[in-house]
Parts: sequence; structure tokens; C-alpha cells
Amino acid sequence: MEYLIHIAILVCIYGILGISLNLAVGEAGLLSVMHAVFYGIGAYVAALLMLNAEVNFFIALLLAVVASGFVAFIAGAIFSHLKDVYYVFATLGFNVIAFSVFLNWDDVTRGPLGIPGIPRPELFGFSFFDNLPFLILSAALLYLVYLVSTYITSSSFGRVLNAIREDEEMISVFGYRTSSYKLAILVISGALAGVAGALFASYITFIDPSSFSVNESIFILAIIILGGLGSTRGALLGALILIALPEALRFIGFPSDVAAQMRQVVYGLLLILLMLYRPQGMLGKFRM
Amino acid sequence: MDIAVQITLNAIIAGALYALAALGFNLVYSTTRFFDLGYGAYAAVGAYMVFWLYKGLELSLVPSILLGIIAAGVIGFLIETVVYRPLRARKASLTVFLIASLGVLTVIQAVIAIVFSSQFQTLSRNIGEIQTYTLWGGVITQTQVLILAAGLLIMTVLGFTLRYTMFGKAVRAVADDSEVATIVGINSNRIIGIIFFVSSMIAGLAGIAVGFDTGIQPTMGLALLLKGVIAAIIGGLGNVYGGVLGAFLLAAIENAGAWQFAGEWKDAIAFAILILFLLYRPQGLWPK
Repeated sequence: MEYLIHIAILVCIYGILGISLNLAVGEAGLLSVMHAVFYGIGAYVAALLMLNAEVNFFIALLLAVVASGFVAFIAGAIFSHLKDVYYVFATLGFNVIAFSVFLNWDDVTRGPLGIPGIPRPELFGFSFFDNLPFLILSAALLYLVYLVSTYITSSSFGRVLNAIREDEEMISVFGYRTSSYKLAILVISGALAGVAGALFASYITFIDPSSFSVNESIFILAIIILGGLGSTRGALLGALILIALPEALRFIGFPSDVAAQMRQVVYGLLLILLMLYRPQGMLGKFRM
Repeated sequence: MDIAVQITLNAIIAGALYALAALGFNLVYSTTRFFDLGYGAYAAVGAYMVFWLYKGLELSLVPSILLGIIAAGVIGFLIETVVYRPLRARKASLTVFLIASLGVLTVIQAVIAIVFSSQFQTLSRNIGEIQTYTLWGGVITQTQVLILAAGLLIMTVLGFTLRYTMFGKAVRAVADDSEVATIVGINSNRIIGIIFFVSSMIAGLAGIAVGFDTGIQPTMGLALLLKGVIAAIIGGLGNVYGGVLGAFLLAAIENAGAWQFAGEWKDAIAFAILILFLLYRPQGLWPK
């Protein structure tokens, strides 16, 4: 049971990451490979605030969201006029640089040693120390993020984003400043990733740079491609499948390091097969 | 003074490795116009093939290397036939190609890790016995001299073949417009297949060179590929000589930067250069 709760919490965290990345990639067509940066900023800011300044989790969470959104604003302001593959490589480069900062800025992040002993959340004397209350908190935050996402996708703002994805030149002819729209959605997407970061730091109670590398960004991207770009529910479904899958492999009886690699094989194959036979993913509306 | 010499030598060696990566990558990019991330995996295949033959089966050096290069070429060719050719026939978008190639990279890396473990390993049998030369106070190994020679040789042969032979003309025709090339009687698929075979062999050679110079790891390919991509973008995408010059320039800046700051910022410096180029000079220094 405890084990199932653990998996469920991870699904919530990756669900938040998937939904938030889908806003940028699926809704607005910004193929970003830097989502782990905002996730990492959220995790580090929340962890440092809770440990060094003894800030309550919920306030740390808010500040983490602000910090992630701010970093997303900087990245978006620099990259928003790059196109296609150039955007992909620029964002990938940004992830590499941010990872170097996490790894080498020893005074703040303690580098590869990581930050241990991050506390679990507390609110008015009620502790989320046990996994079950923590799951309820994670699920609540996931639901909140889900609501934000569906609100955005059903608003006129969301429709402009879709139009940018389909044909940016056309929509700019109608007088929409597309770069502002792209910047806005990237900030929202990054800020929501900060929620996942703060949750992750508090749940595992330990963070180190390895959780926020380019590979993590690629993994989150795989989640939403599998689920289907442009679909909030698809992002959730993708997170569920890609998190639960390696656990299933472990039950089949692979040793855990082989199971980890098997997961890579399976999700790599999924990406290839999807691109060959169903490029829009499982629930996707956006045909790449 | 000695340090300056050593850094120059290091830069030249790193430049030769990046140049190999950029050469093969440029070849594929200029004919097919897409970014093949799988390219990194072909490099790892070459290196691990040599590891298996040379250290596992104790074959002698030259046949091991030749077989390793051929294995990389065959893998590249197979991937082209099975994955990219159907996508090309369907006129899939660049994003679809990019994600499919990401899948290719992930699968091959994970399979290598399952077979050979994900540990860092060395290719050389007798590390102590490697011949070294002293040059104006700096040290350079025999392996490194060979890498440098191989890089320059391949650049010359490639440049010559593309410019002066019928095959080179056919390649350039396919690169310009594969449909028109087909109309005038060129078998585009065959040409692209050969290009994939050759460029994957170059990738394999680059991987083997890295393996003998430092060591091998299943994930070695991505790092090498990214440096090759940065070099190719600096030099001007699709320009054979530009890519090589870009590679040496990148290596020089990286090593100078590592000397001025600290070695661990090398990757961050490389990607900062990439972002600067993408923003201010996306056509590179020597555009085609």
C-alpha cells in the first residue's frame, strides 16, 4: 500500500510537469527541452527557503513558483523569436547551462552532494509527514494545475496560442503580438513546473542536480508526446504510463538497474513507433 | 608558458574530435535537412564494438577498429532504412524526425547499457605504455596525433568527393531537391542510404577516438554529438570546412575558458556560445 502511495505521488508530480510543459509545447508549439530547469529552480528555491530561512512549505511553494516563473521569463525573453530546431537547441543549451550552475555553484546548492534533510510540509500544526496526507496534498495541487490548464486552453488566450502553433505568420497578420503570447505561456508553464519542484524536494527530502538534467527534460517531453500534444488529459495519461511502466518491469523480475534501462528502451521505442504510426500521441489533437 | 602550450595542444585535440563529429553530422544534415540525434548513438556503437572485440575477444587493434567503424555504419544505415525512410516517404515534419531520432538515441544507449553496463570504461589495454611526445613543453599522446591526422584526412577526402565526383554531384542534387533529383534519374533513397552509412562510420570513428583518448560510456554519444552540432552551427550548417573550423574554434574557446575560470564550466561555455550564435549569427561564420 505504502508502495502504491509512493507511485501515486510520483504520478502527481510528473502529471504537474506534463500538464505544465504541454501548455508550452502542445498548446503553443514551443518545442522546449528546458522544463527540468524550472522544475529544478522550484525545487532548490523551496528547499533552501525551508532549510535556511525556516519558511513554511506553502510560502516556500509560492516563492518557488515566482522564482521559476521569473527564470522562465528570462529564458522566454531571450529565445522567443528563435524558430524550430534552433529553439530546440537553444533551450537544450539553456538546460545544460542551468545544470552546470546547480552542479558547480557549491556555496548555494552544495553541488553534487545535494541538499539533504528538507522538511515535509506543515499547515496550522497539521503535518503532511506521512505519505497518505502528502498524496492528498499532491493530488490537490495536481487538480489545481489541471484547472489552470483547462481554463487557459478554453480561453481566448488559449485559442490564440493554438493559432500560433498552427501558423504564426497568419495570426500575427491579424495584429496579435505573437512574441508576447509565447512569452506569457512560457512563464505560466515554468511557474507551474515550480510547483512540481517544491513538491518533489519536500517529498524526497533530498535534492541533487542529477534530477534536473537534460535527460529529465527529455523524459517530461516523452510523457506529453506519448499522451498526445495539446491534451491536458493526455499529459496525465502519459505521466501515469511512463511512471508506472518501470515499476511493472520490476515486478516482472528484472534487477532494478536493468529495469531502469528497460524503461529507457521502452520509452525510446514508444517514441519511434508513435512518430511512425501515430505522431499525435494517444489523446493528442495536434498533428506535428 | 608551458601551460599555454598544453592548453593549445588540448584545444587542437578536442578540436579534432569535434571536427570528426561535425563532419559526419554536416554530411547528413546537408543531404536530409534534419537533425539526427541518433548520430550520437552510432558513435557509441562504434566505440563499444571495439571494446567488445579488442578487450573482450582480444582481437588485434586494427581489425577491431575497422569492424567497429563498419558496425557503426551498418547501424546508421539500418536506422535510416527502418525509421527515417518511411517518415520521409510520408513527408513528416522536422519535429517528428527530431523526436523519432531522440527515440533512436534513447533505445541504442539503453541497449548498450544493458549489454555492457553503464559504467565508465577504458578502451586501451595498457594505459601505461601509450607513447607520448613532448612538444614545446606540452605533452601529446600517440592516440591524439592519430586522431588529428584522421580528422584532417577525412575532411580532405570528403571535401574532394563532394566537389569533384559524380557521386558528390548526386549528393548535392539530392540535398538541393530530392524530388527533382529523382526525376532526373538519381535514386535519392540510395544516395541518402550511402550518406547515412558513411556519416555513421565517421561517427563510429569519432566514438572510437574518444574511447581511446578518454574512455567509453553509453551516454558518450550525446555529448559528442552536441559538440559536433555546436561546431557545425558555428561554422555554418552544411559547410564541410566551416564545420571543421568551427570545431577548432569551439575547442579553443572552451579550453581558454576552462583555463580562465575552471574546468567544470566547459559545457556551460560551449552552450553559451551556441546560444549566442543562434541569437546573433544563426547562419554561422562561413555560411554556405
